[in-house]
Amino acid sequence: MGTNSGATAGINNKPVGGATGAGVLVGGGVGGANSSIGGVLSNSLGGGGGLSIGGLNAGGQNANVGGMGNVGGDDGGNGMVGGGVNNQQATTPQYTIPGILHFIQHEWSRFELERSQWDVDRAELQARIAMLLGERKCLESLKSDLTRRIKMLEYALRQERAKFYRLKYGTDPPQLNEFKPSNEDAGLAGEVATDSEVPYSSVSNTTWRQGRQMLRQYLAEIGYTDNIIDVRSNRVRSILGLNNNAEHDGSGGGLGGGLGGGTGGENLSPNINGNESNKRASETEGRHTPAKKVQQSIDEIIVDTEAAVMANFEFLGATEMSDDDEISDDLEMVATDNDDTDVKMAKRAKSGKDMLTEDLEADVGEQLLNDMNLMTEEVDGSLGLGELAQLTVNNESDGAYDANSKDGTGGSAGGAGYRKTWNAKYTLRSHFDGVRSLIFHPEEPVLITASEDHTLKLWNLQKTVQAKKSASLDVEPLYTFRAHTGPVLCLGMSSSGETCYSGGLDGNIECWQLPSPNIDPYDCYDPNVHSGTLEGHTDAVWGLTTMQSNIVSCSADGTVKLWSPYNKEPLLRTYTASEAEGAPSSVDFVRNEVDHIVVAYNSAHCIVYDTETGKQVVRLEAAQEMSGNTGKFINKVVSHPTLPITITAHEDRHIRFWDNTSGTLVHSMVAHLEPVTSLAVDAHGLYLLSGSHDCSIRLWNLDNKTCVQEITAHRKKFDESIFDVAFHATKPYIASAGADGLAKVFV
Amino acid sequence: MKMADGSTILRRNRPGTKSKDFCRWPDEPLEEMDSTLAVQQYIQQLIKRDPSNVELILTMPEAQDEGVWKYEHLRQFCMELNGLAVRLQKECSPSTCTQMTATDQWIFLCAAHKTPKECPAIDYTRHTLDGAACLLNSNKYFPSRVSIKESSVTKLGSVCRRVYRIFSHAYFHHRRIFDEFEAETYLCHRFTHFVTKYNLMSKENLIVPINVGENAAPGESEA
Repeated sequence: MGTNSGATAGINNKPVGGATGAGVLVGGGVGGANSSIGGVLSNSLGGGGGLSIGGLNAGGQNANVGGMGNVGGDDGGNGMVGGGVNNQQATTPQYTIPGILHFIQHEWSRFELERSQWDVDRAELQARIAMLLGERKCLESLKSDLTRRIKMLEYALRQERAKFYRLKYGTDPPQLNEFKPSNEDAGLAGEVATDSEVPYSSVSNTTWRQGRQMLRQYLAEIGYTDNIIDVRSNRVRSILGLNNNAEHDGSGGGLGGGLGGGTGGENLSPNINGNESNKRASETEGRHTPAKKVQQSIDEIIVDTEAAVMANFEFLGATEMSDDDEISDDLEMVATDNDDTDVKMAKRAKSGKDMLTEDLEADVGEQLLNDMNLMTEEVDGSLGLGELAQLTVNNESDGAYDANSKDGTGGSAGGAGYRKTWNAKYTLRSHFDGVRSLIFHPEEPVLITASEDHTLKLWNLQKTVQAKKSASLDVEPLYTFRAHTGPVLCLGMSSSGETCYSGGLDGNIECWQLPSPNIDPYDCYDPNVHSGTLEGHTDAVWGLTTMQSNIVSCSADGTVKLWSPYNKEPLLRTYTASEAEGAPSSVDFVRNEVDHIVVAYNSAHCIVYDTETGKQVVRLEAAQEMSGNTGKFINKVVSHPTLPITITAHEDRHIRFWDNTSGTLVHSMVAHLEPVTSLAVDAHGLYLLSGSHDCSIRLWNLDNKTCVQEITAHRKKFDESIFDVAFHATKPYIASAGADGLAKVFV
Repeated sequence: MKMADGSTILRRNRPGTKSKDFCRWPDEPLEEMDSTLAVQQYIQQLIKRDPSNVELILTMPEAQDEGVWKYEHLRQFCMELNGLAVRLQKECSPSTCTQMTATDQWIFLCAAHKTPKECPAIDYTRHTLDGAACLLNSNKYFPSRVSIKESSVTKLGSVCRRVYRIFSHAYFHHRRIFDEFEAETYLCHRFTHFVTKYNLMSKENLIVPINVGENAAPGESEA
């Protein structure tokens, strides 16, 4: 329309020019041409949409314009010259100077006109290319965003599975009851959660709006005129046309209760969209119709995905159930009661809805993201991002409430400390045989492993080799300690981290000065690293632990010995129990009581000794468990770092907690599917780590004695799997050592 | 190993086990081992039973992947060589053995460094064992213990050549240590047999005088 009117305006000019320009025909023609150029130019600049066609039309008319000029001259034949020219043209095609001049001038103006036309076209097409490029880019980023989302959801699903597994497993019924309300809270917390997220979106709104404004200013400065931006905004509006409808129907149409939670948070966006479109007032009827069609198809898609998601969850539910049954049988725990399954159903339904919401939001977000990347519709764009941000938070809290955070409503920050999940990061492979023991340096990210291959190895976690195609890092050992003539069974480290002690099957305790953690692995042999041997035990040394400058060791020869390694007479004292107790299997210092050690014996009793007097202080035994101690063999004993509690790991799959003052059993729980072999308590006394021949390590909350995480870490060799677990005293590392010759560090 | 409660035998070394009872459990037939470490278990079981029966130890079970069999044996050799290295550490010092030599014919350069170096014998021994440990545990070359890439199998030969020099150095320069160690473990004997059987080293490199054919019969006098 605009082009047409422009063209006609140009033509109208001509007769006028011709009429007024009377005698001076050449001038009139040129003038006409000029004005027509002006008309076309203004046309093309004002025109917008289908400009290329408009330009061509104008060019075509231009030729006419010339003819018109002639005609004009003919009609108003006032001047003699004009008439003469006319006559010449009519009778003979004689070339006259003025005629040629006129023709040349006319041609020149035509070319000029065309040139300017092409320039305009070119600018137009360039703008279009830029726009399409922008579109492509935003589609790409959208794609990557969506794949990220998929990964996120997959991860959440995995977490969910792990959670159900964990929830049922290793927890006692009372705790399960405790869980229920929290889960229900979390289940109902849909709206609350979205409420709490509103600040997120508003924050991002303002920042994005500011950024958008700034970008606009920059564009204006570099001469990106509003016209061109408008071209884009036209385009954007056509997309938005869809968008508005989709969103309105999404929130208004009400796809379900769960959806309400999701869209409730963003009900700002449709309003703003509405305002925008009113302001612009440029949406034609024609645009609405296709938009609605598309919207319908979106609806269909949503229904489809709903069905798919639900189907998925049905399936999930089934597997969860079967898993649970098996496990609870295995663990001889109270079977699932009805309440419990209810919780599960509720949760499942809830997460199903979540998925649904997210699907819809993904659709909406996709388009919003489009806008955002085109950098035109600031408000909508920022809302799009706001939503994405929200979704991320949503996902996190979804994954979070499995860590039984009772404050499911309290947002992600509250649960953050609670739900640290440990992931395998470093694999320490260099031993030829099972790793019997490992110990961390008190400060550095350095650890030492002791293996049945007769060696100890020093590892620095900061010196890693990237393993191919895997998230975990391989570490190469820095130093190999060789002195034992048989398997090395246990390790201890001085509190300064300078010295380390190892006990072996050969009955010796070797003392080592730790080389620098930055040593070259292929440096020259320094005999001084091996700083002494404590000889005294006549059989395998199975347990070793340090306290300040002293170490205490227990051996299959039936004795427990206290050493001060760098004394002239290193052996301070020997403690021997009665024959009936059998050989000691493990030993630890009582951490909250100086001069006390606790020793576990083959008889499945623990005895606390006073190291000064050598007398027995307490015997840890439970009256009701006296019968049939055969299966209760203690593999490991550790003392709580702050409380008068001793923790023992048993062959009968139990972990037991003892009161050091009364010697009574405080708590007993089935902890693994196979014998528990190793224990470690973190420096603050909040968490317990246990390892078992069932190939898994488990992290326990010492407060409520519930399992926080289970990691399958090692493979079996004969009937053995995990030999040792450890906490880093000051850094967030845990580690496990296995019969498969590997040690793994988790972060 | 008082663990035969009931019918199942649990093969575990519990804390407190006396050293003479360590790994002393009834043999488990290879077919019943379902672990990924079955070959290692099987080899160690045979060695535990009778380290002098080299022929039996090196007899590959039927349907066994030869690459894995060679790999697991080499792991076991390197592991047991730690015992020889421990003994050498006490006697073989950089001042007495400044170079890695066996006979006067060759000086061996240590391959653990970017450019091969003339390390003293004890360093050569340690570096070679450490390097072998890294290579044989490398996730790149030996990611699995149940199947080995053909390209990685070729690495085994060079490891064999290098670790054999530890035997030869001990034999020619620390004969007492070598003899004591050999009397206990029959390791050099087994190793020579191994590399000959699987053609991992050429005969002229096997300079420690052990007659494989003759000593296949039990009762060889090594010392």
